[in-house]
Amino acid sequence: MKGLLLLWSLAPLAWQLYTSLVTPEALVSGSIGPTGSFWTLENYRQVWLADPPIWRYLLNSAVVGAATTALTLALAVPCAYGLQRQGGRLRWAVTLALLATAIFPTVLLFLALLQLARTLGLANNLLALSLPYAALCLPLAVLLLRAAFAELPPDLEDAARLEGLNLPQRLRHVLLPLLAPSLASTAILVFLFSWNEYPIALTWISRPELLTLPPAIARLAGSSLFTVPYGAFAAATVLGSLPLLLLVLIFQRSIVSGLTQGAIKG
Amino acid sequence: MTPSLLNALLMLPALLLLAIVFAWPLLDSAWLSSQASSVLTGLSPIANHGANWQRLLGDARFWQDAAVTLRFAVVSVGLELLLGLAMALLLHRPGRGRGWLRALTLLPWALPTTVLALGWRWIYNDPYGPLNAILRACGAAPYGFLTTPATTWLFTVLADVWKTTPFVALLLLAGLQSIPAELEESLVLEGASPGQILRRLTLPLLKPWISLALLFRLAQALGVFDLVQVLTRGGPAGSTESLALYAYLNAMRFLDFGYSATVVIATFLLLVVLTALGWLLLRRRALEPSR
Repeated sequence: MKGLLLLWSLAPLAWQLYTSLVTPEALVSGSIGPTGSFWTLENYRQVWLADPPIWRYLLNSAVVGAATTALTLALAVPCAYGLQRQGGRLRWAVTLALLATAIFPTVLLFLALLQLARTLGLANNLLALSLPYAALCLPLAVLLLRAAFAELPPDLEDAARLEGLNLPQRLRHVLLPLLAPSLASTAILVFLFSWNEYPIALTWISRPELLTLPPAIARLAGSSLFTVPYGAFAAATVLGSLPLLLLVLIFQRSIVSGLTQGAIKG
Repeated sequence: MTPSLLNALLMLPALLLLAIVFAWPLLDSAWLSSQASSVLTGLSPIANHGANWQRLLGDARFWQDAAVTLRFAVVSVGLELLLGLAMALLLHRPGRGRGWLRALTLLPWALPTTVLALGWRWIYNDPYGPLNAILRACGAAPYGFLTTPATTWLFTVLADVWKTTPFVALLLLAGLQSIPAELEESLVLEGASPGQILRRLTLPLLKPWISLALLFRLAQALGVFDLVQVLTRGGPAGSTESLALYAYLNAMRFLDFGYSATVVIATFLLLVVLTALGWLLLRRRALEPSR
């Protein structure tokens, strides 16, 4: 059963890897004559030296991802702390709003956000992209971090307050160090979302050298449905997936536990 | 400062950004749906007294897209819940390398949809893709997975199920982890079969998680955009065009912002009605006495 599950999850990805490493002739015929070669790095060379090169998109996505993660955490930590300490109707209303926005399909926002970007001159600005991204990540981030705050022993903060620490000091020296695992898994999920977001990046960014990875890949796909250089595509998808692949494999524990723990307590 | 005021102040920046990015666009689109705003008006809004909505009611393409989107959402979310449950049960079982198994099965969910959609386009390729290679090896004729209007939607469903089932599985896994192991052990001692344990213990206790996964996935699937835009571009013959894609095309290709806003708001209303319906249905079920 486990083998079947792995086959189902990984076979399409393995096929991409294979496609990226063989010559077009090998793809079409499945085998190759005595003169031709089967394995090649030509596809990678092609996307690495393209104009703009693929590393440019990876870099853009990394910049947006880092800015989004920083902004989201900066807003989500105080919000989660306030929400956890707040009782009554306000707590209920904010939680409900967070849940509603968390399940909302963000593509429906693209039209008005595009107009907002044009009005405020935020189009074609990578850092500005982190504003809507942070908003889209906030519901999940606040819900996860609120659950984490709820786990901390209540006496802890009282003791720190008696020691004379003010709120920023308590957060920085007492509470946040204890929340490090939850902060890390939240940060990874936010980065993941930012790396993958498509509709807003598609409508906010039009200059080729500023594209993030998803619209850049989609633009590649925009050529004809029939005669497309699938080897080069596959190389682009492998390179575009690699950073996330490493992230998921390295931090698998905190991603899985972050999501499951947050869901249990949230 | 009272604690309540301090809490409100701490929450304010985040809530403000949420209001700007979620509430304002909906209000703005609702307003824009009452305006003519296209190349004909020089893209400046002019009130047109419900003409957009009248057009929408008689727009066969809109209704076809609504049916396509609904069909896609119902079938793919249904399959995702079934497969997700099986996957979660499998990932919950103790065994060597469980962490790795979880991480590897999570990969399709973690990678960008556009990247994976491009990959699926190659897998479905006629005649060189691997699926057609398998068909050929079996002696069958190659099949136009993405060029046969009657069946292409099924293959968009398959790609979506492949990509999002891990997320459903992860949510349900959280639910499984919240069930005390002693409960299952006591049922095993009573001589209950695995099927009976699933029916009598696991499924009833998983209900809140199943509901959460259902609501979340239903809302997301009704807004499907990335996948169809890259995999099929809504084709062939518009057979996979979703409402979100139609809204996008109206704005970005036909440059009709007023009508695009109308499609956005209509989709939003459909979404609210369907998720509310799903929620009411689930709540009623949950209130029924369990066997």
